[in-house]
Amino acid sequence: MEQRLANTWRFTVNERKFIETALLSDLRVDGRRPFDYRNLTVNFGKEDGSAEVQMGHTHVMGFVTAQLVQPYRDRPNEGSLSIFTEFSPMGDPSFEPGRPGESAVELGRVVDRGLRESRAVDTESLCVLPGRWVWAIRIDLHILDNGGNLLDAANIAALAALMTFRRPECSLGGEDGQEVIVHPPEEKEPLPLILHHLPIAVTFAFFANENSVAIDPTHHEEAVMGGRMTTTLNANGDICAIQKAGGEGVLQSVIMQCLRIASVKAGDITEKIKKAVDSFNTHTALKKIKRHPSSIPMDVDGADSKLREKQKSLVDKKATIPCPSENVVRETKSLDQ
Amino acid sequence: MAKEQPGSPASFVDQLVVPGDVVLDLSNMANQTIKLGSGLRQESDAISVTKAGKFRLSKPNKYWVESSQKRYVPCLGDSILGIVVDSKADNFLVDIKGPALAFLPVLAFEGGTRRNIPKFEAGTLLYVRVVKANPGMNAELSCTDASGKAAEFGPLKDGYMFECSTGLSRTLLSSPPCPVLEALGKKISFEVAVGLNGRVWVNAASPSTVIITANAIMKSESLSVQSDLNLYAWMEDICSSCGVVYGDTQTPAIQPSIW
Repeated sequence: MEQRLANTWRFTVNERKFIETALLSDLRVDGRRPFDYRNLTVNFGKEDGSAEVQMGHTHVMGFVTAQLVQPYRDRPNEGSLSIFTEFSPMGDPSFEPGRPGESAVELGRVVDRGLRESRAVDTESLCVLPGRWVWAIRIDLHILDNGGNLLDAANIAALAALMTFRRPECSLGGEDGQEVIVHPPEEKEPLPLILHHLPIAVTFAFFANENSVAIDPTHHEEAVMGGRMTTTLNANGDICAIQKAGGEGVLQSVIMQCLRIASVKAGDITEKIKKAVDSFNTHTALKKIKRHPSSIPMDVDGADSKLREKQKSLVDKKATIPCPSENVVRETKSLDQ
Repeated sequence: MAKEQPGSPASFVDQLVVPGDVVLDLSNMANQTIKLGSGLRQESDAISVTKAGKFRLSKPNKYWVESSQKRYVPCLGDSILGIVVDSKADNFLVDIKGPALAFLPVLAFEGGTRRNIPKFEAGTLLYVRVVKANPGMNAELSCTDASGKAAEFGPLKDGYMFECSTGLSRTLLSSPPCPVLEALGKKISFEVAVGLNGRVWVNAASPSTVIITANAIMKSESLSVQSDLNLYAWMEDICSSCGVVYGDTQTPAIQPSIW
């Protein structure tokens, strides 16, 4: 018990009081204004479908995997989407290993509601053989560092990971045409998921004194706040989910005001995610092309050199165009075979 | 290096040392009294290093190994900032960012008797001194200096406390004064208490000043260029990121939010 006491994070009376008094004059301890979002960085792993999101101290990793499973009986032609959270004690000493805590369950539920119940991911396109085989998409969210507002960061990590995820293409074959053949990525280009829209979670913290509101609370502010509201919106301003936690009462007008701010922020964040995903996609596409020249046969022959020239011109074209489209990549591939 | 002048402190001072290095040989310095700080241990006549860092000497006779960590290992004589966790009949339990909670005896105050035991609620910030730091035992703290006077020790009211690395807190306390604190002090007035355990308390007349000071200190962790010109540019940068014009901090330029 003694050891646990020494490991938990302490909060002083001074900090609590200061955060409250500073908020009265529209100041926050990290120098932001009440409605400033922290700097957002999205990084991607080597594999498809892994994303790391950093917002100030907060650090969340999202990882997407897919598996062929039997569909639910009431939805024979729909794939599924499930979200799992991992709160490691390395992220925050107050997270206990093993059993997921209250915050872990809430985070999973809110992200799940935003993504699944707003039908952001097209589940029908995940169907391979109705009633028999569908893709089950699994999102793992790892909390690497808790600097406050895990919910928004986890939501962004999930979206970024979903946007870069590619599932293997599969087709039906066999004697009766009922057998599922999963094509390895070398054979057929893996397919991206179909995302209809991007629901972005934006969290507001409410403080007891003078009804102060602050967007994107840090973990210090989370320790002081009386209530919290997470609104999930997309860039079009459609509200996908709202979660209001904590005891602080909030006026209707305040909620409407928060929603207006949230829709602006959702637009900004969508831009940022799309930009990061685009640059990642360009990067991976370029990496694929660079491999080709080495695979061209070295002997100089009439037909072969012609093919080589054609390929070379394609590669050159690639080099000049910064953002390659997918079909050119496939063309070079088919030439290769 | 050790072979050239075995036992001579000059050979290791301000050098990087690693655990196992024997930095001092007491047999050569028979009639001297030395004080050992953190990261050093005595095995009969040899003083060896227990953690990696820079070997430091504070004239005339205090030695320690300096490194930057998030966790604090209590060491005799350090002035630190602690947070009261609980109060028991004989001791306050105080969190010092260390491996275990520290004890602050209820009588370790100036003129402390059973009659006038101070009352601290959980979460009170205290400026204290380490008086016992034995391995395997909880450290013992005191709110008096060696002569029993209160001497600035005790609870800190108001202000804002933030955490940094132990290395940064040592730089802040260094002499000549840390350039960041000096540059800040030229333009704004504030109070600061630095604990060697990587906690810093800042207080000033207005919250914006506190925020600027705290952010400047926190961000100076990775600051290497310390020429004055760069420092001022850097400071202006921090102030503008806090929405305040440097040198004009008494009247913060708060703009109304956009919506």
